[in-house]
Amino acid sequence: MLSVKGLKAKVGEKEILKGLDLEIGRGEVHAIMGPNGSGKSTLAHVLSGREGYTVTAGTVTFEGHDLLELAPEERAHLGLFLAFQYPVELPGVNNTYFLKAALNAIRSARGEPELDAVAFMRLMKERLKVLHLDDSLLKRPVNFGFSGGEKKRNEIFQMALLEPKLAILDETDSGLDIDALRIVADGVNALRSPERSVILVTHYQRLLDYIEPDVVHVLAQGRIIRSGGKELALELEEKGYGWLGAEEAA
Amino acid sequence: MSAVPDSGFAPWLAPPPAAAAPDWLEARRAQARARVQDLGLPTSKEETWRYTSLTRLLAQGFVPAAEPGTAVSPRDLESLLIPGLESHRVVLVNGRFVPGLSLLQDLPPGVRVAGLAAVLKSDPDALKERLDALTGEAPPFFTALNTAGLDDGLVVLLERGARLDRPLELIHLSVGTDEPRVAQPRFVIALADGAQASLIERYLSLGDALHCTNAVAEITLGRDAVLNHQRIQTESANAFHLSGRYLGLGTASRYQGIDVGLGASWARSDLRARFAGEHAECDLQGLYLAGERQLMDFHLDVDHRLPHCTSRENYKGILYGKGRAVFDGRVLVARDAQKTDAAMTNRNLLLCEGAEVDTKPQLVINADDVKCSHGTTVGQIDPEQLFYLRSRGIHPALARRLLCLGFAGEILDALSPSALREQVAEEVGRRLEQAPLG
Repeated sequence: MLSVKGLKAKVGEKEILKGLDLEIGRGEVHAIMGPNGSGKSTLAHVLSGREGYTVTAGTVTFEGHDLLELAPEERAHLGLFLAFQYPVELPGVNNTYFLKAALNAIRSARGEPELDAVAFMRLMKERLKVLHLDDSLLKRPVNFGFSGGEKKRNEIFQMALLEPKLAILDETDSGLDIDALRIVADGVNALRSPERSVILVTHYQRLLDYIEPDVVHVLAQGRIIRSGGKELALELEEKGYGWLGAEEAA
Repeated sequence: MSAVPDSGFAPWLAPPPAAAAPDWLEARRAQARARVQDLGLPTSKEETWRYTSLTRLLAQGFVPAAEPGTAVSPRDLESLLIPGLESHRVVLVNGRFVPGLSLLQDLPPGVRVAGLAAVLKSDPDALKERLDALTGEAPPFFTALNTAGLDDGLVVLLERGARLDRPLELIHLSVGTDEPRVAQPRFVIALADGAQASLIERYLSLGDALHCTNAVAEITLGRDAVLNHQRIQTESANAFHLSGRYLGLGTASRYQGIDVGLGASWARSDLRARFAGEHAECDLQGLYLAGERQLMDFHLDVDHRLPHCTSRENYKGILYGKGRAVFDGRVLVARDAQKTDAAMTNRNLLLCEGAEVDTKPQLVINADDVKCSHGTTVGQIDPEQLFYLRSRGIHPALARRLLCLGFAGEILDALSPSALREQVAEEVGRRLEQAPLG
């Protein structure tokens, strides 16, 4: 589904990703762990098409497409979704209107008919129920005035609605209390299917207690330095990143 | 001082051809003509005309709209109505009241709505005290022009405690004629003590008519009176629009104004508020769009000469193409106006490099126990917000439009009833859709 080969990327003059390789198969859940400054968020941003990064080498293939050639919205149309570490507030932009615009943009890009207001509301209500979310969320401006936990839950709600093929969760667990963490985890687990893959970018092992990954990668200094099963996360928890020679970046 | 005959406005000064006016009105018109001559054409040396040139307006050679109302059929009007908006309706065509298109049968007791010319005819002295009561001894140039050419408009009077059960919708429709015409309607609006009303003023053109509107409204609120006044200007892309609004606010009265400027090629709006009693509130909100070759020019002048009054100004603008806007807000707090509470903000979103805004908030505070603030911003669409929307599959053009509508939302949300709000939001959306964003 996703194949990253020898990816190098810079922010300004500073090289952050230094030859990263990653293969993600259909239906797999991968955790990418690593110390601060290792390049975890940069990877998530480069995959989603955010401006401000220069790719200097390597390739990224997603569902047979050269991902790096595509605009952010085209990546979303192919089924890529990024749950932001810091979801952006959109004052005055109604959440329902936003979600409908997003879903219908993706549907029409896939050649599916747009949903009318009634069908859309039905779908939203259904997804809210699965995630145990309150529908007052829908009437408010996107993320505006939301608490940290509400913002993260809104990201998961969008994911549930847009049904991506590959969801990248960028430190979605950071700053969440245990209840919010559970809601996020339930959302991801509900979405798990043989058709859908997930990348969990996280600093802590905690999230992996709730979402069991198939593969755990350790990212340090711009490269994947170790990959293994879920027991690798437990080892990291116990011994810290230093054990792998992956000290915090200077 | 330039001589007016050269100024291009000479034809505007010719006495209106209408039937004989009462002596006092003839005298006022003569005074106003003299005032126009004295003032001469406003130039960029004057502070309130610093950013705005009259060259384009003068080049059109507008002459007063002579004949009463070009024929407009009810069917023409039908297409301009707002679906679902229940209102008492008054229609003016090219500055003249047209009873046949108006809908005033069910006015509640204590409410009088009539054409100004008709009132002058039936009761010649009724407006003697009211007319020019707020524009003052030394009116600005275009207000003096309006008075010099004064012959029709509208009179809205609410007696003590009277209430309008639904909004009064004032439709000012401009229809193209053989030569470029200026309409100069005059509105006299007075709410006696405790009266309450909602007024929706709409400025429209049939087709892409080239025309000029120079409207002046004098609005007096008695003690505890409340006026909700929404002004929606969507004239044709060829139109020139001038508006002078004069407010006199009685004790504990409340004026809530929303000014939406979307249409016309060149639009200038002046508002002057004077508190005539304590504990009064003046709340002014505005939304403007200025696109290719469009000018939106707002001047607000709020004079706190009495203590314990509140004023709010919140204007937001979206500019694109080579659109230009001016926001000139002035709040004056007199020495004795203690406990004044005044806040002014003007925020602008520039979507293109060629767009331009001059924003000039001024607070002149001569009292020491007051709460006053002002702030202005001129910014662009936030790239983080744009990326967030695009990452959800939304095309950049729609994403920008959503963000613009979000920016405008604060003002749009204040419009009421919902039928009006939806119609204006749609109009804003439609204009943004056609705008060359980015």
